[in-house]
Amino acid sequence: MKPSDVVLRTENLKAHYVLDVPGGQKVVRAVDGVELQIRRNEIYGIAGESGCGKSTLMKTLYAWVNRPLRLVEGSVFYSKDGQEFDVYALNKQELRRLRWTFMAYVPQGAMSIFNPVIKIKETYRDFLSSHLRGKTVEEMFEMAKEHIEQLGLPVSILEAYPHQLSGGMRQRVAIALAALLRPSVIFADEPTTALDVVVQRGVVQLLKDIQERLHNTIILVTHDMGIHANVTDRLCIMYAGRIIEEAATVEIFKNPLHPYTQFLINSLPQFGDTGERVSAPGQPPSLANLPSGCAFHPRCPQAMPICRERRPEDTKLGEHRVACWLHAERGEAEYAANS
Amino acid sequence: MFWRDYLIPRLLQYFLVIFLGITIVFFIPRLAPTNPVERTIAEVRSRGQYLDPAHIKDMVDALTEMYGLSGSWWEQYKDFWVRLSRGDFGVSFFQFPTPVIELIKRALPWTVGLLFTTTVLSWLFGNIVGGMAGYAHSRGWSKLLDFLAMFVRPIPYYVVALGLLILFGYVYRLFPIGGGATIGVRPSWTLAYIKDVLRHAFLPALSMVLLGGASWFQTSKLIVQNVKAEDFVQYAQLGGIRESRIMFRYIIRNAMLPQVTNLALSLGQILSGALITEIVFSYPGLGHLLYSAITTGDYNLIMGIISLSIVAITTLVLIVDLLYPLFDPRIRYK
Repeated sequence: MKPSDVVLRTENLKAHYVLDVPGGQKVVRAVDGVELQIRRNEIYGIAGESGCGKSTLMKTLYAWVNRPLRLVEGSVFYSKDGQEFDVYALNKQELRRLRWTFMAYVPQGAMSIFNPVIKIKETYRDFLSSHLRGKTVEEMFEMAKEHIEQLGLPVSILEAYPHQLSGGMRQRVAIALAALLRPSVIFADEPTTALDVVVQRGVVQLLKDIQERLHNTIILVTHDMGIHANVTDRLCIMYAGRIIEEAATVEIFKNPLHPYTQFLINSLPQFGDTGERVSAPGQPPSLANLPSGCAFHPRCPQAMPICRERRPEDTKLGEHRVACWLHAERGEAEYAANS
Repeated sequence: MFWRDYLIPRLLQYFLVIFLGITIVFFIPRLAPTNPVERTIAEVRSRGQYLDPAHIKDMVDALTEMYGLSGSWWEQYKDFWVRLSRGDFGVSFFQFPTPVIELIKRALPWTVGLLFTTTVLSWLFGNIVGGMAGYAHSRGWSKLLDFLAMFVRPIPYYVVALGLLILFGYVYRLFPIGGGATIGVRPSWTLAYIKDVLRHAFLPALSMVLLGGASWFQTSKLIVQNVKAEDFVQYAQLGGIRESRIMFRYIIRNAMLPQVTNLALSLGQILSGALITEIVFSYPGLGHLLYSAITTGDYNLIMGIISLSIVAITTLVLIVDLLYPLFDPRIRYK
């Protein structure tokens, strides 16, 4: 991968929820040492079960860290116009200006993200007037109209109030809004959740259209492996606040290396196969009280003594990386030599 | 169709509520175990006056007539509405023979003047300060104000009123200790008279704005704090929308919705007067009048004031219902 291809990279990113509880503090390690490199012009997927830290990772990447969430360690670098900068080194104003023009966000649960007392076109106007200078109200409404038309959505929604739109339409408007100022990176957090499959298809298609039109980067979080298979170019699997496997989406589905990923893929139904599907046994761990060593070892049928004691580092096999002792012969050898 | 489907049924409901309310006001005194006529006579007797038995018969007849108690209930009821339609609530007994409507007319400007001003002032004060405190709820000054409000609010109103009265009317004689204006001064539109009225109104107004404002402050702070945590506000912040715009169009606009309703309801309650305020400060308003009416068993006067109050509240609720869709597009007439 050429460095100039990278639009976003992280270094040992850690973001924890620090909660005050009677008798001390409770630390929820939602993002616990994430290393990522995301390229221009790709749809990058983040998969994992509920409570593994996907949404927190998205917020941390977007520099949207509000208490009790705290950035504990690490940095997030973006590259814009050939220059790389640490997003956490920016001040409030710089960050505000970066939002929507360079990076935009589609939050989880589009049902309630629009101001209920103003029309959709007014929401468009608020976004435009906060990021563009010297436009009249009419010009902004005109831009909103053109934008909606280009994306193939009905223009009438601009005159509607949020409560007059269906859930699927609201989700599409949220995605359309994110693309409004042609940002280089769009974060989409569970955009298809809570929609039926027919509407999901429309939403997914809209995301793909936008990416093809803007040639930008879309980072898509969903627990739905079917969506990942259809949409994303590269995919990472998150477990307990860490990325345990990352590769091209096709590669992940064809050749999953981590036992957890294997469970995820094998639990998907396949045509013609009537056998029973097996999912990962047990429950996801509490992020406030992680197991020692590899966080997956209590659920892993192939767990070895070392898994209980030491956390596996990333093993790179070409473009495929995985954090598992099964694939880390080198690490294993090291461990044996030391003990 | 707005007219046929909403307005006309709503207006019918409005008149029905007034009709039922006033009907109840008519019947409750009649169901009460006391007979006002006998009571009046007993009162006269208790003063040690000798009454000739033949005379008593005349008195009973006259009183029964004046109380509107002659004939069957149905006849009385019909008669009551006929008189009401002429704006005639009968004669007061506690200030015999002044008509009830005359007494109400005299007390009304005092009550409306004082309560309208204090209600609006405390609403504005509480909402503006409470809104700012809710927006900056993690700041020190916001927490301090919250603490003060929490401290002031539970103090019983009469303690605050009496405290102010003793402090500023008696210890430091800055303000008069009672009344609506200096006794003996003729009402006029002169500067001196207006100043006199304002001086008399100051302490009652202060006591009400203090407690009312603290209450509005708490509600408003809580609402703003909640709205600020709503998804659409978070989204606007996520989208880098300017802060002033988020504050006014996203937070305040939405937080005002319940407060507008509450203001209208408070305004509707004005016409029942502020009993304790008016008693503590001997303010010549409706509350004072109602209190005197109750203690002297003046049924006509009680019915007059309560009927008026019913009409005021239902009318304000109607107005709010009709205006509400202007503030909140989710409420539509079907």
